[in-house]
Amino acid sequence: MSAPEEESRDTETVLACGEVRTCLLPTRDAVDEQVAERLLRLRADERVRLSRRPNRHAVSPDILTGVDCRLPTAGGAKIRAVGTVTARAALVEGRVLQATAHFAAPADGPDRRQPWGYYLVRPGVLVPVGRLARQAVVKGFLTGQQQDELDVGSVAESLLARISRQHRLLDYDTPLNTTDTSLRWAALPAADGEPAAPHFTVADDGRRVVELRLPRGTSPAAAATLCEDLALHDWLLTTVADKLDGLRLGSADGRAALKVLRPLVDHLLHLWMPQARVDRTLNALWQELEETPGFSRQWTSLAQRIRDQLAVQLLTRSDALTAS
Amino acid sequence: MFAASDKGGTGRSVTSANLAYHRALDGDDVCYLDFDFGSPTAAAVFDLPDVLSEAEGRGLHSYLKGKTGEPLRVDVWSRTEHPVLRSRPGGSGRLVLLPGDRTGGEFVTDEENLHRCVDLVLRLKREFDVIIVDLSAGRSYAMDLALAATSPRGGLGRLKTRWLVYHRWTRQHVMAAAELVYGKQGIVQAGVAMGHETDALSASIRFVRAAVPNLDSPMWSQVSAAQYAWMRQCDTQLEEIAAARGIGKTRVLSSIPLEPVLQWQERLITDEDVHDRRIANVETWQKMGELAQRLTEDKHWGQL
Amino acid sequence: MSGPGTVFRETSAQPRTESVPFSHLSLELGHLYMEDFAEGPARLRRHFAAVRPWVDAARAAVGPLPAGKRPRISTCFLIDDYFSRLSTPAELIPPLLQAAAEAGLSIDYLARESGCAVAEPGHRDRAELAEAVLHRLVESPPPGSNGFRPPVSRTGWLTNGRRTPSHRTSAALDATGAVWEPPSETGARGHSVFVDVELWSGPEEERLWSCAFLASVWQLVRLGLLRHDGRAVLTPAPWDDKEFPAEWDALPPVVRLNPLAAPFTAYATCSVLPARFLPVEHAVRVVLDQVHVESEALRQIAERSAAEGMPVPAGIVDRTSYVFPPGL
Repeated sequence: MSAPEEESRDTETVLACGEVRTCLLPTRDAVDEQVAERLLRLRADERVRLSRRPNRHAVSPDILTGVDCRLPTAGGAKIRAVGTVTARAALVEGRVLQATAHFAAPADGPDRRQPWGYYLVRPGVLVPVGRLARQAVVKGFLTGQQQDELDVGSVAESLLARISRQHRLLDYDTPLNTTDTSLRWAALPAADGEPAAPHFTVADDGRRVVELRLPRGTSPAAAATLCEDLALHDWLLTTVADKLDGLRLGSADGRAALKVLRPLVDHLLHLWMPQARVDRTLNALWQELEETPGFSRQWTSLAQRIRDQLAVQLLTRSDALTAS
Repeated sequence: MFAASDKGGTGRSVTSANLAYHRALDGDDVCYLDFDFGSPTAAAVFDLPDVLSEAEGRGLHSYLKGKTGEPLRVDVWSRTEHPVLRSRPGGSGRLVLLPGDRTGGEFVTDEENLHRCVDLVLRLKREFDVIIVDLSAGRSYAMDLALAATSPRGGLGRLKTRWLVYHRWTRQHVMAAAELVYGKQGIVQAGVAMGHETDALSASIRFVRAAVPNLDSPMWSQVSAAQYAWMRQCDTQLEEIAAARGIGKTRVLSSIPLEPVLQWQERLITDEDVHDRRIANVETWQKMGELAQRLTEDKHWGQL
Repeated sequence: MSGPGTVFRETSAQPRTESVPFSHLSLELGHLYMEDFAEGPARLRRHFAAVRPWVDAARAAVGPLPAGKRPRISTCFLIDDYFSRLSTPAELIPPLLQAAAEAGLSIDYLARESGCAVAEPGHRDRAELAEAVLHRLVESPPPGSNGFRPPVSRTGWLTNGRRTPSHRTSAALDATGAVWEPPSETGARGHSVFVDVELWSGPEEERLWSCAFLASVWQLVRLGLLRHDGRAVLTPAPWDDKEFPAEWDALPPVVRLNPLAAPFTAYATCSVLPARFLPVEHAVRVVLDQVHVESEALRQIAERSAAEGMPVPAGIVDRTSYVFPPGL
């Protein structure tokens, strides 16, 4: 058996990647803390982490999934990796459900697969068989995997599915239709003096891609938390913007508009709270995103539009009442 | 909504697709799942010629068999070759097709398929108001899967589920449809064996009569008096047979008239076909709309 | 440890993990079915007489320890009160202890098998121990596993490799699904010894845990690797009474019969068992190989055993050993 220092040295990781899936919890109303805890209690011996400040937030214990497959790479390099992907689910204000699956990887590993116990003591680490071409993996991972290559999205999705199947706790009667989003992220260490600028890209079908440069010493879990926060706020923006896009204003009695606007106010508007739980060392990254594309700016404008619309609708209705 | 039929050629797929189209026009977000293992046809009805080959290895069969994690989704409005459908009307909802694999074929289902089916429907439920599942004709494994998934223990038990059983307006079809629902190894019996309650399940099943000749329509105005009388008599007799087998008028959600356009081509009937080109009957358009409406109007459903 | 390649630090340790005391070896003095007990004291005497020489051998094999250190060894015995309850503790335990004593053996700790399965008395809020372990299973992925595969909790079976693909899912006229493929053991040396372990039977709400799975929990308990929300589980309760209760549930899951005994939990285990348990213990090894133990519990043991000059092997399976003597 190797000494503890040796153990940790060969799991020094040089790359972290993951995917966050975000959706509305399939219930009519937001669930309370007790239900949130029961939904996220994915392991019997470990508690669901609950916090109430600055908003209600519940996080499940980590769940590991074993994989032994090729990593997606740009340029077709064949890199096999073995180990575990770590996944967890989070529930924001009892309303928005997120699942994140992520892994970190060291620069190289043994030339053949080791006994499984070797990987189980390195939770959330995929050890390459041989050397890891980091840049190629980051590019390949963000582009999307080919068949039989690592599929972290499925790991996150299966966690969402597992929670969604708890039909004793869910009524599946959501107050509004929303589209799920998936956010893929990959993080490499920032070179000395390199700005920690994130690249945030919006693709079709609810896909988002984020490439990060993180300060040395950031834990993969902290990176995952940052990306969950990004995914949550991107999902809110996407959902609200979509609803406003399809809105038929000027319809006769405005009831159609109210039908769309009400649920937004009741269920989503209060959820905007960037950086509620993000590690302080990563604040700069959020600030960059506030500059471009300007998350909060867009949100403020959307929220204002909703409030204005509601005010107009109410005025129109009271006018109609007075007239009749 | 599950669309079943006793036999092929009942217009099940084409009517269900039209139903989906009408719901989307009315502003609902609609999703259409082609579970017709063996002969997926929805891509053709929605005029999506490329989708068949695209769905190879990525369609619903591949998903249920666990070969792919994400079944292919096709946005009908943006992908269709149909000239009218291509311009999505304002205020309309989403219309998305999940096609079957071309070479999927019928297969025996197991526990894993069931879980995948449940996971998929729960996921779609977050995004869509109406989910339409087109099953193969007759008793099929797809139907087994649907019944198991919607049973109280199956995972979809809390979703509002409705069954439409399509049949043609002939003696053989009426009897076969009644047998499919109430007969031995029929939907009700099989469902109860899987944990459904008889009353609740029967209450969620309605019939759609397809290609029904409307004797008052101009189409039949040229027939002789004798022919007319004979047809009337047949119609009355059929109504009696249907009533005796528990699929009489009260159990019928809608009757879709015989529509020449559909006899020639399995396609969507659009507003334009009726009003501008005048190739389809306005009555067909209205009946399709009526069917779409009644699908979610509770007064047409429930225990009788 | 901040070399040029280092980027991400380790996830912070969980300081709330309770530590437990450790012996060098936990020695199990056999296992019997309820029917064996029914055969009477002579059967028990024969059992312990056959066990005795191997116990001595196992004791002698501990070490080597640094000069002047005496090995800490505790003995234990597991009674099956989960699958059948033919007798009561008051009737069953005294003759058992008597028979062991006649062979010159002392049972330091007595455990009930249902303690490995159900919630602990007094901790009704805690979920079943076996269920907690079930949730800690991380399947060893056969090559080609890319994350899209159903988790073990769905099926209730655990393998050491890849199963034969199910015939039932192949489509009619689908030639590709028709060929039989053999199962395979992951990491086999040449040829496979494929094992598929049933973890439980019955519906989810009233699971009956399998003997193999409870035996795996029993090994993890003896190795001091289980925690509930950071706290130790199945901590031995002292038992000073001469009398034993008439109900199994009135007896704590693990009782300490010898007040001077070395700690119950140990760096390593040795079980002296009848050979008929060989398949069960093979299954136990398949399970132990795929249990993800809380890293802080692992770390504590690694540090302390290393400090004692007797570092434990990294793999959990490698901390267990067996003797299957003749005539048992």
